[in-house]
Amino acid sequence: MSNVDRTALVAGKRTVASSLGSGLIAVAFVAFVSSWATIFQWLDETGAYLGFALFDLLGGLLVVFAVGLAVAGLASRYGYVTTTPSDTAGVPVAAVFGLIWAAVGGLAGAAYVGGPAWIVGAALGGLAGAGTAVLPREDVGSTLPAAALIGLMGYVVLFGQINTGWTWEPGWLSAAFPGSEVVPVLVILASLLAFWSGAKAKEGFGAQGRQAGVFYLIGMSILSMLGVLGLLILFITWNGLDVMLTGASLLGGELVVPFVGLGVPFPELPFVTNVTGGLFVEVPGVFPAIMGTLWLVLGAVALAVPLGVGAAIFLSEYAEQGRITQVVEVATNGLWSTPSIVFGLFGMTFLVPRLSGGNSIVVGQLVLGFMLLPLVLITSREAILAVPDEYRDASAALGVSRWETIKSVVVPAAMPGVITGVIIGVGRIAGETAPLLLVFGGQPFPSSTPNVLSSFTFSLSPPFVTNEALLQPASALPYQLYSSITAGVFPKEIFSDTEFGWGTALVLLLVVIGLYAIGIASRLYFRRKLDYE
Amino acid sequence: MHAVGIGATLLTVSLFFVGSDWTVLPFLAFLATVGVGWVRYQSELAKGITLLTTVATVAILTLIIGFLLWDAIPALRHMGLELFTRVEEPFWQAPRPDGTYSLTPMMVGTALTTVIAMGIAAPLGIAGAVFISEIAPPRVREVVKPGIELMAGIPSITYGFVGLTIVNAYFYQQFGTPTIGDYFTAGLMIGLMALPTVVTVAEDALNAVPDAMKDGSMAMGSTKWQTTKSVTLPAALSGVSAGVLLGIGRAMGETMAATVMLSHTKGIPGPPFDVFSRWGETLTTVIASEGTHASGTHLSVLFAGGVILFGMVMALSVASQYVEWRMQQKLGGKR
Repeated sequence: MSNVDRTALVAGKRTVASSLGSGLIAVAFVAFVSSWATIFQWLDETGAYLGFALFDLLGGLLVVFAVGLAVAGLASRYGYVTTTPSDTAGVPVAAVFGLIWAAVGGLAGAAYVGGPAWIVGAALGGLAGAGTAVLPREDVGSTLPAAALIGLMGYVVLFGQINTGWTWEPGWLSAAFPGSEVVPVLVILASLLAFWSGAKAKEGFGAQGRQAGVFYLIGMSILSMLGVLGLLILFITWNGLDVMLTGASLLGGELVVPFVGLGVPFPELPFVTNVTGGLFVEVPGVFPAIMGTLWLVLGAVALAVPLGVGAAIFLSEYAEQGRITQVVEVATNGLWSTPSIVFGLFGMTFLVPRLSGGNSIVVGQLVLGFMLLPLVLITSREAILAVPDEYRDASAALGVSRWETIKSVVVPAAMPGVITGVIIGVGRIAGETAPLLLVFGGQPFPSSTPNVLSSFTFSLSPPFVTNEALLQPASALPYQLYSSITAGVFPKEIFSDTEFGWGTALVLLLVVIGLYAIGIASRLYFRRKLDYE
Repeated sequence: MHAVGIGATLLTVSLFFVGSDWTVLPFLAFLATVGVGWVRYQSELAKGITLLTTVATVAILTLIIGFLLWDAIPALRHMGLELFTRVEEPFWQAPRPDGTYSLTPMMVGTALTTVIAMGIAAPLGIAGAVFISEIAPPRVREVVKPGIELMAGIPSITYGFVGLTIVNAYFYQQFGTPTIGDYFTAGLMIGLMALPTVVTVAEDALNAVPDAMKDGSMAMGSTKWQTTKSVTLPAALSGVSAGVLLGIGRAMGETMAATVMLSHTKGIPGPPFDVFSRWGETLTTVIASEGTHASGTHLSVLFAGGVILFGMVMALSVASQYVEWRMQQKLGGKR
């Protein structure tokens, strides 16, 4: 069958079907966005917009969409618009519509007749839904069941069966679902369905239509997910920025130039540079937590990077690829997915009694180092394996020994990958909290910062070198956030503990996201520069 | 030389194991051996040291397993198998050393939050992976992919804080949940957190499908979606399911978000699927909230909880690796 006259090859030429489809998608989009806005309480569910109550508008949009969709489907069926539908909408579509309509039928049976009538309702609904979907041609099968469903939803919302005053209280759940929240969720689901069928109608059904339907559906879900996450970050910034900038000024501070003793104006940010507790602090800050995080990260990197890179070199350069490397790989991946709290338990039972006898910085460093180790190993190994064998062969051909080759050819070539892995790993452990609760955390609101560098003492009795500060508990950014959530009352009046929490969360987010961004950017940079893959 | 190095290493480890102050002596000897070796037999030393680091990595995992099991034994001795199967009150008579303890409510809690989390993370994660690798134009992909990786970096305590102050409060006000915080809200946040894991691994799997396979399908005149549905997804199915398995592991092991959001009351909900009930405790949260001040039997029970958690996550990790290995075998030749 030639479809020369049916398929428009000229770009920019709009057919009736595609204009109708675009209009339908636009209607669905408005309903979709305004429902999300209602859930986030930007739109008042009892308010009136454009002269109509909000829910009447939403219901109206659904009804309008349903009518338009039915028109599009029937117009295509009776040849008023040119489309390319398949013979049937297909069994998967029929199954989905059957299930949805069975649910609708069951609910209707339970609500209007009661008793075991819901089984009859469900069976009838399911049969009708699946039948309408699978029996007729695709243009009817994928529009009519959807239009009927969306129209029904619009009807119950518009004529008040489900509305602001209505509440659903199932006996088997301890929560009640008020109409003010159920309606937006219903409309979101209906508009997802609407995107699918509207996009199909727009592309004239058939293979192209099915592709458009699915792509719209996936695109919309991803869009809302990214939207929620973007909002989350925006929200933290919004709430935290005020706290973080308390008492800040661009040139209010003073930086004393070392050795000269001359003060120069310097940006001032008390929330970042002040201690948390203590008597004489006007604006409590998170400086001890920042320093604690810094020490933790330094210690963890000092432990994990040599171990991880060394093991990666051994596994990819020396060891025979076989059973042993496989076992190590399984162990590494296992270590990588081990829950952080389990690392905490291990540190508590193995390291604490042997090192400090209580929560301490050094145990925190070691435990976080153990958590960082598998990531360093995995990424270093990938980077080393990605170094082309030509490099090694060329070096060997010059008579260079294996170790010299590794040292001066393989490792430098793999360095970018290793560094990226370490940065991303550091971003991850800098935000890690759970093990710190068990092996590291001290006072909820510390008034001093750990003074690690000047606490080294030497003696003649066995350990010879001790560092009191390393054996003391301290605070870190994620731990600080946890303690401001759980400690209850914040000791200073200037912030409530929630406000202080938002500020801490923002600083933590900045640190971690900053590390991640550097890691990801450096990977993109090196990939473009070396392109050794 | 070899003997001195190996001897010093073994002595350091064993002295550290018994907690001796003298650990520093063999450690110094070890450093001296390494120093001398570096100057005189560098290449041999390098091999030895890298071998040592490999052994250390495996040893850490072994130590974790060993100590978890060892510390969990007293709890098992005290409660027997009832520790995991007891379904009636009293569940938790902490901190009494002779009290009754049962981990069943926490296991139910972990199961509920994980199911809710994966109900969100699995479909959206797979959809996200398909979107990034098959649908999105290159320019969108360049933005969305690093964005998703960035999401993986947001600390769990931050999700927990947002969940506590916003999501919990919202559900409490709007849906009249009996407590501020329940399995549903915690599962919701955990699902958001497990999402990037699923997306990243599943997307890698979709990308690993050889272009020749896709091109073959496109050359037959299939649309992009027909190719994705009938060629790419089936070929990458094992990799995608590995992503989902890893996501389940993440969701089960997630601690901080659940710890700050749940109510820390132990019990099994009326119908076990009532996710809005007043009970709220999972295996991870009970360890995080009580681990700091527990001792004796109480602590040992927490370790038993850690053993279950570790065992499940380890099994998931091994399963996902097996699945991925199978995929690489099937697609053949690549990597």
